Amino acid sequence: MSFGKMAANGAAIESLNLIRGRLCNSDFIFRFLCESPDSNYSKLKFIFSSSITEACNNSVLLLGPRGSGKAAVLELVIGDLLKEYPDMITVVRLNGLLHSDDTSAFKAIAKQLCIEHQLLFSKMASSDDNTQFMLAMLRECGLAHKTVVFVLDEFDLFTQGKQRLLYALLDALQSISSQAVVIGVSCRLDADQLLEKRVKSRFSHRKLLFLPPSKDDLLKLMEHALSLPIDSSIPQDYAVEFNARLHTIVVDRQFQEIIDSCWESYPTIRHLMKFLFCAVSSLDLDSGYLSLENFKTALPSMQRQPKMESLRDCSILELYILVCMKRLEVKEQNSYSFNAVMKEYKMVHDSFHTSDYYGQNICLRAFQHLLQCGLIGFTDGRVGHNQAIDFRPVKLLISVSELTHGLKFYNSCPVHAHSIIQYQLSDDT
Amino acid sequence: MPSPRLFKPSVNQWPIALEGLGYGMTHSPASIAPHTPRTATPLRRSARRLHLALDVVEEKATISEESNVSKRSRSNAKEQGISATPSKVNPAKTNRTREACDSTKKTRRKIDKELKEASFTPVSPDQSESKRRKTGRNEPAKVITRVRVKDQEGEAKKKCRDVPKKKVFYRVLVYDGGKFGIGDDVYVKRREDASSDDEDPEVEDCMICFRVGTTIMIECDDCLGGFHLKCLKPPLKEVPEGEWICEFCEAKKMGKEIEFPKPPDGRKRTRTAREKLLSGDLWAARIESLWREADGTFWCRVRWYIIPEETTAGRQPHNLKREIYLTNHLSDIEMESVIRQCSVKNPKEYAKANEGDDVFMCEYEYDIHWHSFKRLSEIEKNAGEDDNDEDWEIPKDAVLESDEDMDYDEEREKSLQTRATEIAANSGKAKFFGFQKIGTKRIPEHARSHAQTELERAKATLLLATLPNSLPCREKEMNEITTFIKGAIHGDQCSERCLYIHGVPGTGKTMTVLAAMRNLKSQVDDGILKPYCFVDVNGLKLASPENIYKVIYEALTGHRVNWKKALQLLNERFTDGARNGKEHDRPCILFIDELDLLVTRNQSVLYNILHWPTKSSSKLIVIGIANTMDLPEKLLPKISSRMGIHRLCFGPYNYQQLQEIICSRLNGIDAFEKQAIEFASRKVAAMSGDARRALEMCRRAAEIAGYRIKSTSESVSLGDKARVVMGDIDAAIQEMFQQPHIQVMKSGSRLCKIFLTAMVHEQHKTGMAETTFEELAATVSRLCTSNGEAFPGWDALIRVGCMLGECRIILCEPGSKHRLQKLQLNFSTDDISFALKDSSVLPWLAKYL
Repeated sequence: MSFGKMAANGAAIESLNLIRGRLCNSDFIFRFLCESPDSNYSKLKFIFSSSITEACNNSVLLLGPRGSGKAAVLELVIGDLLKEYPDMITVVRLNGLLHSDDTSAFKAIAKQLCIEHQLLFSKMASSDDNTQFMLAMLRECGLAHKTVVFVLDEFDLFTQGKQRLLYALLDALQSISSQAVVIGVSCRLDADQLLEKRVKSRFSHRKLLFLPPSKDDLLKLMEHALSLPIDSSIPQDYAVEFNARLHTIVVDRQFQEIIDSCWESYPTIRHLMKFLFCAVSSLDLDSGYLSLENFKTALPSMQRQPKMESLRDCSILELYILVCMKRLEVKEQNSYSFNAVMKEYKMVHDSFHTSDYYGQNICLRAFQHLLQCGLIGFTDGRVGHNQAIDFRPVKLLISVSELTHGLKFYNSCPVHAHSIIQYQLSDDT
Repeated sequence: MPSPRLFKPSVNQWPIALEGLGYGMTHSPASIAPHTPRTATPLRRSARRLHLALDVVEEKATISEESNVSKRSRSNAKEQGISATPSKVNPAKTNRTREACDSTKKTRRKIDKELKEASFTPVSPDQSESKRRKTGRNEPAKVITRVRVKDQEGEAKKKCRDVPKKKVFYRVLVYDGGKFGIGDDVYVKRREDASSDDEDPEVEDCMICFRVGTTIMIECDDCLGGFHLKCLKPPLKEVPEGEWICEFCEAKKMGKEIEFPKPPDGRKRTRTAREKLLSGDLWAARIESLWREADGTFWCRVRWYIIPEETTAGRQPHNLKREIYLTNHLSDIEMESVIRQCSVKNPKEYAKANEGDDVFMCEYEYDIHWHSFKRLSEIEKNAGEDDNDEDWEIPKDAVLESDEDMDYDEEREKSLQTRATEIAANSGKAKFFGFQKIGTKRIPEHARSHAQTELERAKATLLLATLPNSLPCREKEMNEITTFIKGAIHGDQCSERCLYIHGVPGTGKTMTVLAAMRNLKSQVDDGILKPYCFVDVNGLKLASPENIYKVIYEALTGHRVNWKKALQLLNERFTDGARNGKEHDRPCILFIDELDLLVTRNQSVLYNILHWPTKSSSKLIVIGIANTMDLPEKLLPKISSRMGIHRLCFGPYNYQQLQEIICSRLNGIDAFEKQAIEFASRKVAAMSGDARRALEMCRRAAEIAGYRIKSTSESVSLGDKARVVMGDIDAAIQEMFQQPHIQVMKSGSRLCKIFLTAMVHEQHKTGMAETTFEELAATVSRLCTSNGEAFPGWDALIRVGCMLGECRIILCEPGSKHRLQKLQLNFSTDDISFALKDSSVLPWLAKYL
């Protein structure tokens, strides 16, 4: 390898690491989307800074589908404000999955406030004490020009029960002249409707909706994430060439189609970044430049079809069992157990003269594997847990069309299995 | 823990250091000028009229000559001088007579002999004032003589064995012609050798002519120098409005070198106490307690003020010239070192104060251990006063507190300070320890920018947390509550003791009751009404309904017990009326917010609480608030009968009322257009009649207006257009009532849209709301094939379905059920057709909607 080539190789590795680092850093990605003045970032920042500078209380809900960047933007805002107003913001983080119980939530609040202000925390304090402590702290912090930010992740889970926590927080906001912001983060769009009416009346009804970015923004974002900086340790001519090639890829229609199909199956930015990560990882280090091929090869790994794949991994016996179950369903037997399936299996063997016949214990193992794959499932849920597997009612969890589709693409599918399905379908019609 | 910065001398260094000074300070009583010069006309703060004491500045040549003499000898010299004066009484005797007159006023103790001895009794003119107080706290004592002679005091102590060796505490003390009370702010001497301290002019000279005079002087807002109006060039006729900066400061700001006019020869420019304080030559402190030691010296415990320069943060640019901070540093000092009073005010009072030179502004408290600032709360002040009342109630018949007690107190205080780190902050027992740690290291600049625009003021006053001055539209209800409570307190046996208030949220129920209670409290203070206890409980803030007993008992007695014990004790108190303590005689008003939360399975909590008022001996009055009108009907008959017929309904506000509420809050602030307020109130009245909603909406509209103005004013300067208009209200309404699901559906991916369309199609076809994934997948594949779309596969489809389920656009079972998963739309099909009809990406969807 020539020296020049090695240098190019080094540059490629360096830029690859840079790009990978960027793709994993949600701050970098969302910072780019936050620049416009109409973005949720600036709205949220405005609410925060008005609370800090004008000493007022606020409450706001961040709503949006999962992966739309609610938490990322919130963290970005909090991080920026902590830099801007050092030592003036206390962030209390609660998660609905952990603290949906009011007592533990109050305890967590007290603990976090104690840690933040280097006070001693007592585990023994009662819920009332913790509530009082929280109110007293809010007042004190208000007097000291400190803002307390309550971040309630999975906000909808806090609305279970009597909503004592939300009532206490929002009531404190309307009665104490403190500087506090309560932020609820939820993927349920109707989260504010879940509030009890007196809690709802105290809520400020500010909602920020997080929507996926437009396609143009997405393309810009991708180019931004993948392009190399000109003024860095990476050789400049290499970076310029890299960026130019990237630009031709991005404007290519084929590339846009790939992105479309990727976006369609999983319309979140995080997922898109994963896709880019895959694509970048297959970068050819010898040439050192991205090509359309990289993206093409990365696409299938993003559009996996778990049911189809597990069907492809099944053994012949397992396929037969699935086919038998299918037959039983066509016969409008709504509830059947392993034993019924075994009977059907025997019948199929007899009538179609399939090549081999397995004993019951082997079939049971195959049956259990299918259960684990999630291709079939018990219908009674957990009820008959102590019942023997043989007699518990089961159901096929994949539809006929999926099964036929799966069989079609199964490499060594026995002709019989295929024909049994075909036969039955023609029977139906 | 950082070690406390000791910038004040500790207590035991003080007396010696100060005594010497004290002697140097002797004025003839005539030289004590009135403290606050009266102004004839209301002037702004910086304008001062000089009072008429023209002979204030005494040249004290002898003292300055003596300044190099050793302290002890100087004091001796003074002693002799004093003892030589015939007008002074023998200190020993003074002590005793003083003691005697204290006693006459406060106790019956050992007056007989002493009174006869006392040939003269000092007048006590403030008798009337102290009698007026309801609690009859200890009477202010007047002591007119000034104790000076340390050595002889010692002898006096030995001589007068009959003088009790106890401290005598005072509330008001007249010392050396000045009257000092607890809570007063005073100047305190700092250096013993500062010759300039000898003069204590209470008026300052004009910066130009160096004379004092009766004419009005104006104060420069920058250097705080005083100027005669006529001395200025050009002379001013009257004090101008707003800020005024003297020519020297103005010139200094322009960058010119300017020399202040030199005082004429032979006349030294005297510094006022204010100047000395602000330059650190004097201290200011607030008196916390006043007492006389057993040896007859007068002491006071003071809480120091500190000037910005002495804090770790230093003087910050936003500090006002006359700003000082209150510290948490307490010391005991001898009254000897106290010079005279000054006045320290909070920002609001300070803005109004317009007389005198000794006015300072204090907004923050400074923690000397943690070097942090905290705003002084006004609430705390009130609470503090209340505390005082109670504290002083206890020793009313025995003003004397033993030294041991005092020592014990000090010890305890000390131990609390050291232990503060050990006690957990959130354990309620210790009333939240360690709050002194909370504070800002520097006061942020934005907190001090008081120049608010109209819009900002409007936003601040529209906050839910700001307590309105008046409660419009609820006068009728307020009167009803007041008459109910008054009737119940006066204790007619037949009258109702229970009031149930109901109404939808945000109609001012709690606020009205609390306002009524405030009115009643002021009536109690005026002596019109009998005193009562008031217990305020919120059902939603209790960990469990039974905890209410605990909370009530703690509020009544201050003791913490578990709820079972509390129930038992409360039962004893209310039903049996057993013990007839003084406290128990008071009527008790129990105010329970969110009453419906107390409903338990067997409803025993509500029963107990509502049962007590029916007992004649209980003197308990219950006011309950809940949202539902028919709460009593939902309860057991025995409870609903006890809850009584006395109910009060708070209806939702109509739009005129909402308008009035908003207008009353915005009184004097011209930030909203009239129609805009009307629009907002009409909208809210049509929706819920919730005042909170209306206020929040207006606040949001003000924010939007501020944003709009900021973004447009860069190009066009709109001077007077900083008002909230209809458009802003409309935007706020849009935002408040926005339907996020429509937007999410509109912006969803193609597959989402197809999925939803298939759901609608399926529902139309079958007429059933519920469908399974299997059927839906079939429909989707049919739609796709007939419209030339690629079918994405079942796995992609089920993921989309689960995502929609997470957002609650559809309701669905867990995705693991796959084919059998049940799906249902969460919104009407109309909403979905509205959202998806004109989708540019998939125009064919409209066919199926």
